[in-house]
Amino acid sequence: MGQLRLLLQVAFRNLFTSKINILIGGIIFFGTLLVVVGGALLDSMDSAMSRSIIGSVAGHVQVYSDESKDELSLYGGMSGEPDLAVVDDFSRIKPVLEKHPNVKTVVPMGTSGALITSGNTVDLTLARLRDLYKKRQTEGESPALRESIDSVKGHVRQMVSLMEEQRAKSRELLTAAAQDPVEVESLARARTDAFWNAFEEDPFGSLEFLENRIAPQLPDGDLLDLRYVGTDLDAFQKSFDRMEVVDGQAVPAGKRGMLMSKFFYENFLKLKSALRLDNIKQERDVNQKRIDADPTLQRWVKENQTQTREILFQLDPVKTRQAVERLQKVLGSQEPSLEKLLSEFFTTTDDNFDTRYQQFYAELAPLLDLYRLRMGDSLTITAFTRTGYVQSINVKVYGTYQFKGLEKSFMAGAINLMDLMTFRDLYGYLSPERKAEITELQKGSGLKELDRGSAEEALFGEDSGNTLVADATPGLIEESTVFEGGLGALAREDLVARVYSQQEIEQGEALSAAVILKDPEQLDQTMAELRESTQAAGLKLRVVSWQQAAGIIGQFVLMAKLVLYFAVFIIFVVALVIINNAMMMATLQRVREVGTMRAIGAQRSFVLSMVLIETVLLGAVFGLGGALVGSGIMSALGSAGIPAGNEALYFFFSGPRLYPTLSAGNLIAAFVIVLLVSAISTLYPAFLATRVSPLQAMQTDE
Amino acid sequence: MSLKSLLSAAAVTAALLSAPVALALEPAVMTQMLATIDDRQRNGGDYKALIYLEQKEKDKTDNVREAFVYRRDADDKLMILFSKPKTEAGKGYLRMDKNLWSYDPNVGKWERRTERERIAGTDSRRADFDESRLAEEFDPTYEGEAKLGKYTAHKLSLKVKPNVDVAYPVVKLWVDKDSTNILKREEYALSGRLMRTALYPRWKKIFSESKGADVWFPEEIRIYDEVEKANSTIILIKSVDLRSLEANLFTKAWLESKSR
Repeated sequence: MGQLRLLLQVAFRNLFTSKINILIGGIIFFGTLLVVVGGALLDSMDSAMSRSIIGSVAGHVQVYSDESKDELSLYGGMSGEPDLAVVDDFSRIKPVLEKHPNVKTVVPMGTSGALITSGNTVDLTLARLRDLYKKRQTEGESPALRESIDSVKGHVRQMVSLMEEQRAKSRELLTAAAQDPVEVESLARARTDAFWNAFEEDPFGSLEFLENRIAPQLPDGDLLDLRYVGTDLDAFQKSFDRMEVVDGQAVPAGKRGMLMSKFFYENFLKLKSALRLDNIKQERDVNQKRIDADPTLQRWVKENQTQTREILFQLDPVKTRQAVERLQKVLGSQEPSLEKLLSEFFTTTDDNFDTRYQQFYAELAPLLDLYRLRMGDSLTITAFTRTGYVQSINVKVYGTYQFKGLEKSFMAGAINLMDLMTFRDLYGYLSPERKAEITELQKGSGLKELDRGSAEEALFGEDSGNTLVADATPGLIEESTVFEGGLGALAREDLVARVYSQQEIEQGEALSAAVILKDPEQLDQTMAELRESTQAAGLKLRVVSWQQAAGIIGQFVLMAKLVLYFAVFIIFVVALVIINNAMMMATLQRVREVGTMRAIGAQRSFVLSMVLIETVLLGAVFGLGGALVGSGIMSALGSAGIPAGNEALYFFFSGPRLYPTLSAGNLIAAFVIVLLVSAISTLYPAFLATRVSPLQAMQTDE
Repeated sequence: MSLKSLLSAAAVTAALLSAPVALALEPAVMTQMLATIDDRQRNGGDYKALIYLEQKEKDKTDNVREAFVYRRDADDKLMILFSKPKTEAGKGYLRMDKNLWSYDPNVGKWERRTERERIAGTDSRRADFDESRLAEEFDPTYEGEAKLGKYTAHKLSLKVKPNVDVAYPVVKLWVDKDSTNILKREEYALSGRLMRTALYPRWKKIFSESKGADVWFPEEIRIYDEVEKANSTIILIKSVDLRSLEANLFTKAWLESKSR
């Protein structure tokens, strides 16, 4: 005991005596700081991200068919949507999962995606006019209908004259040969009074002329990638507490419909000029950027000045006149051309931006459709079904929603929510009757299946029996009855109005199911038990945690952790070498001291303990210093929060700021690592020190 | 020996040394051949066919349909209207001028499509159903003779003419020497990548009153996707009817009315 005290005294005395010790201490100090801060940050990010993933779509546990080819990846995989086998009947797996005492709710799901086409502006307007004429055909003309027809007709006429203006401009740039004479002639015809005077005589014929000859001259249609999660919307809303409806309303219980992500709605469906103004405002207000200094903002301003076509084509003659008047007033100008007025209006600088922004929303926006889709409108989604058929469905968009804290996250924002019935239709499940019908058709064809490799020989060889010259039996094809009683229109109305019972929603396919737990701490145990119980019930299911279910995203924190641990490992290996070297030097410096100690009777074990204790004390003192400073940094960060510098980080931070916390675990881990490294790196120098003999010490020169 | 005779001697020698060149068809002859192929399939009046369409894809249920194909060759109009299975009935495509429209009665909407569009999600394209317009759309070069099973064929390489919109800009054709029917057609992307191979093992002809001659059609077309190797499509033309069609048939309104 006395010896230990002596050793400690020596160690304390030597702590700050040599520069080498300060160097070693410094390394230990920064090492500890890194482990404490880095570890705590990663742990905090891990838990923030788990909140993002669990709270948005994954739940704690996901369950899906074990016959799936790919692994579940709720946010999409590297090569698009994962290939999952269908769970035929969700109502069979739900009770099995719900039986577990730790399971709170089970929500059926399926993710998929489709490309939606916006159509070009002229096409869309002509489609509106066509619908109005169809309405007139079935319901007869009313003054209100007449007014609508005339207004849209005026709008189309305005578009034609805008197109003519643009053509005139491009004529200056193009040679006559580069212009299609048919297009020029069609445009000229659509400009004549004669064409418009004769419009009513054959409205559908006139429309087809405009659709086929005029609309293709303005190819401005967009393709949008729409990702959706089909789910029991009611159960989803109750189970995922981060979800909130922003505009419009939730889809009424049991009805078909869609909730569009607010993020998606804003970024992909908003009028581009308005979106650019919003983006400039955000960059200026939130990120303190300035137009005169930032090239991106300058590009947006430039685009707003030059890309005014979307606005020009949106306005009918009445609204165009209003827009011109308002802009003239705002700008104090007499310019009659809306295009030039818009270009001047959008010439924004840091000085006038806020005024122009406010003027845009006060004066221009009321005349415009700010969004390509309004709440309550139908969206046509066309998707390739699992079986390869193309399926189109109109889905009513009831509102927009967001996940609290993840408003700006692209990951969470890409997900649109859809009712399960529509999802199933788009996913394309073949009912037994449909399968039978297909088999019947195939049989009727009398075709042989041929392998690609041998097809040419089989079809053209001597034994093929095929001939290139033969007389066909003249056929009389009667199709008059085939299409009668088509279900199209009927189905459209029926689907929108229909209310599905909970049983109908649950008895059917789903691709996966989200399981929300009462006590998330027992995740692993619950998963193991769910695996057992589903197996016992004869269900071939895979049970995975939220982290696995999130696919690549879920692996992100794991990867980040591995990278940090690897960095720490490298730092400590380097530290080990440096400490080792430094200790060697320190030991060599103390040969006389050690020799003297040995001469006056110190045992080898005493020398060994002395060196070891010195280093461990060094480690403890500087480690403690590092841990203290680290804790200080973490508590400062914890109260101020780390801002999510870019929008991708919102998801990983589970909100606009990450408020990291420090756990006792982080401190203990850092401490243990530091002490171990210090001790290991001292072993060899300590061993060398024990070999010093008094004789050797006396022979050493100072 | 004059220069002229020297040159002709050299030409004869070159021709003898490279046999295939000697047999090469003149461009005019090739264009004539394409025109013949086009003309034989053209009716002049109206044309209606009942077809069967089957698409095979890896790991998927076969995609099977029946459809009516309507053509009015005089003004380049085409309409494809699906009739079976029941869920597909009333869906259709309408080609007018350079526009390809698709219609789905389930949503009551028209959508503009392109030449590259896969018809109803199969490996077939609009041109597989439309009037043959090879001479009008392509410039040919001769690639020699080739054997295909029991047939000997002229192999032509076709390149699309400027400003013509087709699904594939480069096409290789195997044309049977005896019957002048197409046996095989390879279609390439601009990059030179082979995209599709189509085989035409059976051709039939039927007398047309309006044309006063035979109209030819391939009874069976087998299309192999060369990108997704496991995918293939078969088109069967089950019967052909050459009676006149309703005057307003090739309009959006007519197609819409079929599913009301």
